[in-house]
Amino acid sequence: MISVLKINKWAGFALAVIGFSVQAAQAPQHIDVKQYKKVEGVVVPLPNEVFGALNKLGPVNWKEYVRTEKGANFSERPRTALLLGNVIADGFIAVQAQDAPAVKDIGQRVLSLAKGIGVGASITPHAKAITEAADKRKWESVRQELDRTQSSVQGAMNELQDQKLSQLVSLGGWLRGTQILTAVVSKRFTQEGAELLHQPDLLRYFGDRLTAMPEYSVPVVESIKRALVEVRPLIDSGSKPISPEAVKKVNEITTRLDGEIVTRQ
Amino acid sequence: MNPRRQVIFVLVVVPLILGAVATASVDDAQSFALQAAEPYVREGFQVREDYWGGDLAAGEKKAVRQQLFKGNEYWFWMGTEVRHARISVHIYDKEGKLIEQPDSWQKGAFAAAHVIPTSTDSYFIIVSIEESPEERTHWALVYGFR
Repeated sequence: MISVLKINKWAGFALAVIGFSVQAAQAPQHIDVKQYKKVEGVVVPLPNEVFGALNKLGPVNWKEYVRTEKGANFSERPRTALLLGNVIADGFIAVQAQDAPAVKDIGQRVLSLAKGIGVGASITPHAKAITEAADKRKWESVRQELDRTQSSVQGAMNELQDQKLSQLVSLGGWLRGTQILTAVVSKRFTQEGAELLHQPDLLRYFGDRLTAMPEYSVPVVESIKRALVEVRPLIDSGSKPISPEAVKKVNEITTRLDGEIVTRQ
Repeated sequence: MNPRRQVIFVLVVVPLILGAVATASVDDAQSFALQAAEPYVREGFQVREDYWGGDLAAGEKKAVRQQLFKGNEYWFWMGTEVRHARISVHIYDKEGKLIEQPDSWQKGAFAAAHVIPTSTDSYFIIVSIEESPEERTHWALVYGFR
């Protein structure tokens, strides 16, 4: 987990000596990116990264998208992991809406789900911090704790050799974020808003990850796998802009998947 | 130490110690990257908890691929714990064109690249150990947006 408090003394000293008397970076103007070895790790953008970009395009009534229903609990670990990511995304929506009671409910729900898959211990301090920050309406702190929550859940899963579950948490959050992004853009279409959907590499990443987890082939995971194939041509339209119809279609697909993630079937 | 204990020491304790040392180095690199980020947090940048990291030989480069959103402004901060190392980070678009802002910087064990994406897409962040007294140099890359 990252914390600015983790910065060690040598790092502080070195930066103080440098005093930010930095030099301009010299770099080639063009490179052949194919020649470079790639770093394998992928950092999936959090929903609030997209929401922040959306906010700059005009006011959004975030309260409309806040959801706090407790919903179902599942015994299957992949379903719980997807739901956990989905609920953390709901937390980011509640932060956008500055809805303190919703944020607190969501914090407790995240804790309960994390306990359900055996990683509750790593989440307890974050759930407490979320409640305290929401009470004080310190929205930036809530946002940071939600990010830490997701990171801690995934770190704990990785320690348990459950990297695949960790990827499902990211996927659950991404789907919920995409559902809300498409809902907002459908309501008041702009080309700039639609362009935020242009994430073909992330879609490919999630598709590859799902293919690599045959042991988690529960119905909802299979639905998501099919849906990603359906979504790809809608958001990767080459040089053409993403159309209002494509945005609506992606919203329909992600809303259907959201229903499958949050409800017992 | 009797032979049995020696075997246990070599098979169990040594790997644990070596693992701990390796982990500590990556953590230290991350700590440096966060140190570089700190002044920007005060300017409203939200720094992500997740990060990239690893080790590279001097002169070696690697590419991190990341989705960025038009409308946001990003900084990528890189750090290493190796005192006399010189590192760099630069940002390119899919076509390999350098797209970072002129206030991007590099200084010894720290480097940072600033980008305001003109389109929502995947970008390449090229990390490099330019010089280092070590055979392998740990590095970490964090990013923030506003």
